[in-house]
Amino acid sequence: MATSVFLSNLTTLTVNAVSLLDQATSVTFTNTAEQLEKTAFGSTSRVYTAGLFANECTMTLYNSYAASETYQTLAALVGTQTTVVAGVTDGAVTKTFTLTNCYLETLPVVNGSLGELSTVDLTFSGGVYSVA
Amino acid sequence: MTKYVVVSNKVGNPGDEFVPPEGVNVAALLAGGFISTKKTPKPDKTKQDETEQ
Repeated sequence: MATSVFLSNLTTLTVNAVSLLDQATSVTFTNTAEQLEKTAFGSTSRVYTAGLFANECTMTLYNSYAASETYQTLAALVGTQTTVVAGVTDGAVTKTFTLTNCYLETLPVVNGSLGELSTVDLTFSGGVYSVA
Repeated sequence: MTKYVVVSNKVGNPGDEFVPPEGVNVAALLAGGFISTKKTPKPDKTKQDETEQ
């Protein structure tokens, strides 16, 4: 049986063209096509077709208020559309995933606990998904 | 068309021209100080302009 071990070799992560690779601990890019039911009388099983795409990118970043870091990158993006790019390298293969015109609804501006590094969880919703 | 210059190395090489990729929020980059507007030198006055004055 063929197996492949993949160790999350994220080589690029930009939010609004700003590199945040050094602040990221997790990234999830999800390409979703909403399912629309088209089952009709006479069918013996439910069947579906694709509706609108509802793509999403979630990520966790260390929080930093320093110049050119997390807060400064994201503060002006709340309630606006932007572009997120994630590049992944697996051996000789590199894939670049892009979500163009995705929407940032929420930015946790303070998120701290005793004895832990502060992080922010972000969700970029919608937008046009592409891979190169 | 307005041109932009890279200020932060998080965006590119400082001093290089910044060409916004599709979907990038340029206002947010300017607000965060990641890029700045490129100042273009004023064109020299022509002889005709001088005679008009």
